[in-house]
Amino acid sequence: MPGPLLVDSLVRSLQVGSLYALMALGITLTMSVIRLPNFAHAEYITVGAYTALVVSLAVSSNPVVILGLSALAAALVALICHFAVFRPLEKRNPSTYTMLLASFSVGLILRYILFLLVDRFDLFDRRIAVPLEIWYRSNSIILTNVFFWVVPTTLGLVLALSALLNYTPLGREMRALANNFELARVIGIRVERVKSLTWILVGLLAGVSGALWGIYSSVNPLMGWLAILSVFAAAIMGGMSSFVGTILGAYLVSFSENTVMQLLNYYLGLDFSFKPAVPFIIIILVLLLRPQGFTEFFNRARGLQR
Amino acid sequence: MNIDFFATAIALLTFFGIAALMAISLNLEYGVAGIPNFGQALFVSLGAYTAGITYTRLMPLLAGQEVIFPCGNTLNPALQLRTEIMRTLPGVGLANFAITLVIAAVIGGIVGYGISYLTLRVRQEWYLALVLLVGGEIVRIIVRGYEPIICASNGLSGIAQPFNWLDNAQLASILFALMVVGFAFAAYLYSERLVRSPYGRLLKAVRENERVARSLGKNVARIRAQIMFIGSAMAAVAGVLFALNIGFVSANDYVVTLTLDVWVMIVLGGLGNNKGALVGALLVTVLDRVTAIVAIQLNMLGSEFEFNYLRFILFGVILLLMLRYRPQGILPEPQHTTLAHDMSDAS
Repeated sequence: MPGPLLVDSLVRSLQVGSLYALMALGITLTMSVIRLPNFAHAEYITVGAYTALVVSLAVSSNPVVILGLSALAAALVALICHFAVFRPLEKRNPSTYTMLLASFSVGLILRYILFLLVDRFDLFDRRIAVPLEIWYRSNSIILTNVFFWVVPTTLGLVLALSALLNYTPLGREMRALANNFELARVIGIRVERVKSLTWILVGLLAGVSGALWGIYSSVNPLMGWLAILSVFAAAIMGGMSSFVGTILGAYLVSFSENTVMQLLNYYLGLDFSFKPAVPFIIIILVLLLRPQGFTEFFNRARGLQR
Repeated sequence: MNIDFFATAIALLTFFGIAALMAISLNLEYGVAGIPNFGQALFVSLGAYTAGITYTRLMPLLAGQEVIFPCGNTLNPALQLRTEIMRTLPGVGLANFAITLVIAAVIGGIVGYGISYLTLRVRQEWYLALVLLVGGEIVRIIVRGYEPIICASNGLSGIAQPFNWLDNAQLASILFALMVVGFAFAAYLYSERLVRSPYGRLLKAVRENERVARSLGKNVARIRAQIMFIGSAMAAVAGVLFALNIGFVSANDYVVTLTLDVWVMIVLGGLGNNKGALVGALLVTVLDRVTAIVAIQLNMLGSEFEFNYLRFILFGVILLLMLRYRPQGILPEPQHTTLAHDMSDAS
């Protein structure tokens, strides 16, 4: 395989993998602390991306402002969904399927509200108005400023999140909740407060990842939904509970979607239209062959459920 | 405003019959036996793809003609051939239809049977939901990308309903509607009997507490596989009828939203209640058609408002309200008690 093609696909793997990691960490957090496989996470991402688009068109093209406002908007939506839907439902002690269905419905409602708004204001497939600069160029690859935002932002957020989980009282309470819900309540952790804060955190992550994803590609109401199963694949590789496992899973999913797919295309002529099947096959294989995820190696390294 | 009410009613009846089949199938699997089938679109699509293959490969053979590859350069001759056969040779069309139903039911059943064994492997129960959901998407992507099945993303047209040879188009649609409703009614009677039988009680026991059922010596894995066989076969039959009804097989019809629609039906109607599944199917079909008609009328009046989006929002809101305020559904699950149970109560 020609070098430029390989390098290009590796760069894409890194970039998309970082974004998947941010998204998948949100899923893992919700699953561990709230006990909810949240498919509406997709729409929090889309909300973030659209906020970024609107902000970039109407307010400012400063990336920090864009990311900040997107994160806030997605966190607000996540919190509203929590108080309007998930919390009242949880009081009825529902089965996981009920919660799963509810998260599907919330996602559906948000997605089509976005469709309505986007249709009204004619915002389909727009690009976020940030200046695109080429920061590095060789014969094989071109790296734009976007690449240098995505990867360090991810790294910074992951480190911050890890510090928060490990060294702050809130992080300790979240881990306690993830570990044993009843016990956490008994020892006097204010469960509802921790849950609300977790939702805010999850929303912030989703918003930032959505804005970055929107800058990386283009923005449309289906973008979160189309990415969410890849993101779930990443979270499942981490057993839906491990911090490090989720991040590694994200890069692995992205690597197989981009680089492995590129190799298959080059050597076996596999059409790129099969690319969306890659994360799905990963999900099925992991769930069937190793449903606990690949976390056992990392369990000593700061899993959420220990 | 110019709506042909009679034709609308017939179309509604047909859609209702197909929806009812899907709802009864899911109700058996989840409502009665507790298997979270989030892959209803997968099993429905298996039926539709089967129809796509038999109508292009098997039917010419039955008519004694040569099979023409249905895609690419030979698309038009192949389409003409199958239209011609269905128009002129009713016997061949009907035979092909019957064979399609049988093949679809068997394929759907076998796939469902196989997949149910995955339950044994997954760690958390909702993982099965995810496996089924994702399995449906994989099949869809493969079918959309691999030409010979239904011409990849182009889809197959001219998959006409079996009464197409009648000169009177209205009569043909009435007959088809009646047949579809007949299938739905048969499925209803069958599952009603199943639920009331000792086997039905066994299914509910598995749903309520798998360990207890196992400790009483019941083979839970086999029971789940059996009910998945029955349910998936029904769903595949519904898929055949679905494809024939719209006359077109396209991989884009069998997406996650279809699965969700069926879930809305059974949650709305009442989990574990076959009558509820029928009620849910009726309500969802009516809502679906009404919103579709309103959307078309509004667009004709020049409204810029996209009513189609509201349909999805409406369904999501209905599902959430039901889960929150009436999780047992419109018609709650009836208590089927045995004679012995009633007598011990009386004493």
